[in-house]
Amino acid sequence: MKTPASDLVALRDVALRLGIDSGRKIRFTLADFRVGEGEAVALTGPSGCGKSTLLNLIAGLRRPDSGSVRVAGCELANLGEAGIDRHRGKVCGIVFQSFHLLAPFDALENVMIGLRFSGMGTRDCRRRAEAALDRVGLSGRRHSSPATLSVGERQRVAIARAIASDPPLLLADEPTGSLDAATGREIFALLCETAREAGRTLLLVTHEESLAASLPRRFDCSGLVESIAAVEAGPATGKGGEAG
Amino acid sequence: MSLLRMASRYLLARLPVTLLTLAGVALGAALVCGVLTLRRESERAFAREAALFDLVVGGKGGTLQLVLSCVYHLDLPSGNIPYADYEKLRRDSRVLWAAPIGLGDNHEGYRIVGTEAHFFDLPDRGGRPLFSLREGRIFVDEFEVVLGSEVAATTGLRLGDRFAGTHGLVKVPGSEVHGDFPYTVSGILAPTGTTQDRAIFGTLASVWKIHETEDRLHSAIQGTATLQREAPRETTAVLVRLETPGLRLHLADEIRRRTGGVAAIPLNEVMRLYQGVIAPMQRALLVVASAVVVVSCLGMLATLLQAGERRRRDLAILRSLGANPREVATLTFLEGLLLCVGGLAGGALLAHGILAWAAPSIREASGLVFTAWSFDREEARALGVMALCGLLASLVPALAAYRRPPLADLSLEG
Repeated sequence: MKTPASDLVALRDVALRLGIDSGRKIRFTLADFRVGEGEAVALTGPSGCGKSTLLNLIAGLRRPDSGSVRVAGCELANLGEAGIDRHRGKVCGIVFQSFHLLAPFDALENVMIGLRFSGMGTRDCRRRAEAALDRVGLSGRRHSSPATLSVGERQRVAIARAIASDPPLLLADEPTGSLDAATGREIFALLCETAREAGRTLLLVTHEESLAASLPRRFDCSGLVESIAAVEAGPATGKGGEAG
Repeated sequence: MSLLRMASRYLLARLPVTLLTLAGVALGAALVCGVLTLRRESERAFAREAALFDLVVGGKGGTLQLVLSCVYHLDLPSGNIPYADYEKLRRDSRVLWAAPIGLGDNHEGYRIVGTEAHFFDLPDRGGRPLFSLREGRIFVDEFEVVLGSEVAATTGLRLGDRFAGTHGLVKVPGSEVHGDFPYTVSGILAPTGTTQDRAIFGTLASVWKIHETEDRLHSAIQGTATLQREAPRETTAVLVRLETPGLRLHLADEIRRRTGGVAAIPLNEVMRLYQGVIAPMQRALLVVASAVVVVSCLGMLATLLQAGERRRRDLAILRSLGANPREVATLTFLEGLLLCVGGLAGGALLAHGILAWAAPSIREASGLVFTAWSFDREEARALGVMALCGLLASLVPALAAYRRPPLADLSLEG
């Protein structure tokens, strides 16, 4: 089945063995999932239901055992390790719950490093990084190290890093999970704004009902992860847990 | 931002560990460079000095002792030979140059060498004059002396200054001072880069005069003085340069058979000393230094692995930002490379710097004159091998970073 041109993300018949959870082998399966260009989708569901796994599959951080994952017109299975990394750098901006900033570098450098791996020259990197930090309201904190920033500011830097290369797809894995309610709302609003104003597609994993409800589309991930067999007695051999 | 700059920033971010690792690598490299430089330069200095003279002819005793005492001014001579033997040698058509030396006294630990004015005609192996005067003139009268450059620099003696010699060849507190026979400085030599810079040259006649007078005085005090003819003149040794160095062995044999003394070939003695005593010690030192290098490389590997473990999350973040496995492996490898290159360069600088700083003391203690800032192929090879060890150590965490899937570390908090 051909992916329509307007679908930025399309997963079909995806299956992935995840390991063992509570003494049972578990598997992630997804028959069909599509997200169009410029769409904003909340991925919801209980812990361990497969929200993060879905995000990782789209980002190319995980490869499925079978099925097709197409992102921005590119079948990820056809790309090698280096190719998938480069594709991710160009197409996806990722925001993590725990910010994942690099401690030895200041805010500007953190954003520039993100751009460096999308294949941009140093001068362009700097200009874009400065613009991205301006956009998230941190023009005055460019040279602050992550340790001196508040948690809200750290997440703003992470958003700046995600949008700096102007990727068509923003992936946010519980971006407000480490923040207090007020800061969480600010960050959520900022993410939505930065996605909307550039026509980016936003896929946002969240547990918060109010945030999910404010996005135009919700995808309930319940049921994506299923037990397939009981594990025989003996030490566990795989790892579960990631399916969040 | 280049990967090299990123690597250096990561090293700076853990400065104490980086400095300790650098110090470990640098110390290992400094030991190896230091031992190699000392070996090379001491060998060169010994050989250069030894090559100045084809033969040293002296009284019965050990040949090595004769060379050390008369060429390097280090040991005590074993005995004297008749001055007539020197005169015969000088007339020998196979001899290019020969000069007698008479030892017995010192000033401030510097030996007073009694000789003749033509001693300073000695050419170096290139045929150029070895000695040149910086000031004054060669001695003419008895008790006039010419100072080696180091003697002048250390003692502060100047032209026209007078000083008394002390009995014996080394400075010993309470030694007998020949106060009745003061020497006068008539000239100061330019540096030659040999142990001759550490000698005071006077006439052989003055050495004879001091010791004959003293012998008579001692005999009178002990009541053993007898009327006798003037004793035949003697000299401690004769330094000889031959027309052809190939004649060394032949002439040495001939002298041994013809006279009651011995003839030593300085180059052979020095090589024997090297191969028998110094080389094994230096080999042992090199083994220790190599062990230090291996330990340093293992230390560096441990540091890099530990740093790699701590930075698994950072490398995973870089992967999530689009860095491919080769790039994160290169970044990790560059950290090791910087530590390795920095440590080795620092070690080489440290070794040569310490040797340059210690060169005057070594020269004073052993007479060895060497160039601390010299560098040869052997040292470059040793540094190359060390660099290779360091690079291999850097490859281990780099390969680990290359193989590690990013997702495994992205969920780690930090």
